[in-house]
Amino acid sequence: MTRVIESDICIVGAGITAAMVAERLAERTDASITVIEAGQRTASLTERTNTRARMLAYGENPYPNDHIPDQTGTGAMYRQMVVGGSAMHWGGAIPRYSPEDFRLRSLYGVGFDWPISFEDLEPYYQEAEERIGAAGEQGPADCDPRSKPYPMPPLPLSYNLARMRDWTDSAGIPFWTQPWARNTRPYRGRNVCQRCDTCAVCPTGAKYTPDFAFDRLLAERRIDLVTRTLVRRLTLEPGTGRIASAEAVDRDAPDEPVEFRADTFVIAAGHAWSSHLLLLSANARFPDGLANRTGNVGRYMTGHWYVSGFIDLPMRLYPGIFTNNSLLSHRFASPGALDRYVRHDLRLWESNVGRAPRLRNDDGRLLWGDEVMADWRERNRTGATARIRAYYDVLPDRESRLTLDGAKTNALGDPMPRIDYRPARASLDLEDHTHDTILGRFDHLARAAGGAMMSTRTSRLWEHPGGGCRMGDDPASSVVDPWGRTHDHENLFVVGAPTIVSSGCANGTLTFCALSLMAAEEMEKGL
Amino acid sequence: MAESRRGFLKQSVATVAAASVAACAPEDGRNPPTTDTPPAPLPSTTLRAVAQAILPAELGDDGQQRAVAAFERWSDGLEPVVELAHPYLVPETRYSGPDPRPGWTAQLQGLEKESRSRFGRGLPDLEIPTRRTLLTRAVEQTGSGLGAPANANHVAIALMAHFFASPLATDLCYRRTIAKQQCRGLDGATAEPGAAP
Ligand SMILES: Cc1cc2nc3c(=O)[nH]c(=O)nc-3n(C[C@H](O)[C@H](O)[C@H](O)COP(=O)(O)OP(=O)(O)OC[C@H]3O[C@@H](n4cnc5c(N)ncnc54)[C@H](O)[C@@H]3O)c2cc1C
Ligand code: SF4
Repeated sequence: MTRVIESDICIVGAGITAAMVAERLAERTDASITVIEAGQRTASLTERTNTRARMLAYGENPYPNDHIPDQTGTGAMYRQMVVGGSAMHWGGAIPRYSPEDFRLRSLYGVGFDWPISFEDLEPYYQEAEERIGAAGEQGPADCDPRSKPYPMPPLPLSYNLARMRDWTDSAGIPFWTQPWARNTRPYRGRNVCQRCDTCAVCPTGAKYTPDFAFDRLLAERRIDLVTRTLVRRLTLEPGTGRIASAEAVDRDAPDEPVEFRADTFVIAAGHAWSSHLLLLSANARFPDGLANRTGNVGRYMTGHWYVSGFIDLPMRLYPGIFTNNSLLSHRFASPGALDRYVRHDLRLWESNVGRAPRLRNDDGRLLWGDEVMADWRERNRTGATARIRAYYDVLPDRESRLTLDGAKTNALGDPMPRIDYRPARASLDLEDHTHDTILGRFDHLARAAGGAMMSTRTSRLWEHPGGGCRMGDDPASSVVDPWGRTHDHENLFVVGAPTIVSSGCANGTLTFCALSLMAAEEMEKGL
Repeated sequence: MAESRRGFLKQSVATVAAASVAACAPEDGRNPPTTDTPPAPLPSTTLRAVAQAILPAELGDDGQQRAVAAFERWSDGLEPVVELAHPYLVPETRYSGPDPRPGWTAQLQGLEKESRSRFGRGLPDLEIPTRRTLLTRAVEQTGSGLGAPANANHVAIALMAHFFASPLATDLCYRRTIAKQQCRGLDGATAEPGAAP
């Protein structure tokens, strides 16, 4: 027999973007809200002290049961399916995109303009920062625009980062503290950061994770959270384009289907599973998948690439105190006029690369005991290592695609997602120029300290991915409108990562949250 | 698939001779006999004799004993073939390797045996340079990195990797109180770390 669960709002997924939507709607409306999560709960805050210890000692996953064994795709995508989503594990770096990211075509003649501007999104950035609890330092106004201060002061620099900032100042490139989702004062019932430096799993609760929001909403009886329940398809109301239900399977009772009925459906399932669910929901009227009348679902999958390196610095540092903090510069993400397009951020960390204890010296001779210590000391006596990385935006091609992979199915026989990312021609043409420009800036920084580059590398991993349901005013080239409402189904929203047009040169999650809050405001109007 | 791979690797601990090797999947799905009993503790006297040859003498006798005790506690708590922290944007689950401890025990027993047959004395009775000669032969194939202790292909390397990754070793190297990974509040964050006691 089918179990039916009804509510005003039905949210698919319980990650950070779902937490934003649920929290805002719960505060501002009387709507009944159901959140469906395919995964289950993982280590509670009290359990994280122990799982942290085991992660440090043995490298073990600090979040037991944070994924579904047979639910996994191909291509760069997160493994986590759990209450809280990937933002249980995240580092919590929350820079904003730059104003330029929204106007690439108008300003530089490359890529696409978004249908919204930075200024449109700015109030929602602020709201997301307040909900998450952002600790940050105002950077120079021309490359770090904001209308209000951060909710919390920045994380203090370690001795090492303070010395490194003296160095970057002398190079004439402004760096400031990375904004973090980590408390520098007690905030919304959560603790202050204790600098214990294992931010993938935070034993104090100072790092924001979405489970805190869900726990509060559950305690206030403002949401129903249905876990271990995988939505397999959305169905249409007969004769209209409206979504009628979400059909799901309870992983503990797979023979009893569950049907969720609601006035408004919100897909908050992350960059991969959102398009996947729309494609899986194909029916006679939408044979290529829901919201896919113009064939754009799963297209323009996007992310950024990076160039990184290690710099040999002639200074005495003491790596190991608070390696999870870093310095950030958006100077070159807001570069002003350009002869040829290249935009990137810069990020600096302390590092012990090239200066860690080792078993053999440069001649290959085995070292024992005191020799290891002496060799280690000597390599740190007069110098230190900095790690540097530049994210640069990669413009997605229309053929950068998520598709259903008939060759890989879950236990229910549903095809899993396959993502074949592909850069636009313009990005490939710009790749050498981008690398040369960034490496030149690395070199400039190194030389300003009297140091030298130790090594560099480039990466084509599509970091902070998004796309697949990109936003736009024109249904011919987009899936959702600027508020995340699908062009084809008036009561179906997609929020966050899938809706972005391109992914800038900065970690994306704060932008995904801001977009989700903007969508939630639109949903409120219909309630 | 992932779950059955874990089962296979867990069950194959007894067949692993000396080293922790990269986790690999069984092609034919055969399940060797289960060995769920935890391995016997590492032979303590020989391990201590090894420690004296490979840990810094500046730790002193007490410090070396404490480093060995910490390694033994770590080794007792080790679980083979557990799920590792997911690498960023990798959709597969990864597992640690099979149990290295039976191999480490065999290595310690082998060292003791070799010491007796070549020198007529047990390892603890050999001079430090002689112990190092025996150990050098045993770890000849090792590269230069210390890596994760559980992946060490010799117990001597595992013990060194465990010690040199410790907060104490870092403080000794810099002669400063860095106390890595210790919770400590935000006050005084920017101060230069004080001299280590
Ligand atoms: C190790 C790590 C470090 C990171 N660090 C940073 C960082 O410092 N800064 C930053 O900006 N970003 C970071 N990220 C990325 C960040 O975590 C993600 O961008 C963000 O969490 C995505 O949130 P989301 O809500 O879009 O999706 P998700 O977190 O993926 O949540 C979606 C949820 O939907 C559920 N779901 C999917 N399909 C269905 C279905 N059909 N039925 C029911 N439920 C479903 C999933 O189980 C999942 O829990 C990091 C990620 C990782 C893994
Ligand atoms: S450094 Fe701060 S945010 Fe990171 S784990 Fe420790 S307490 Fe949590």
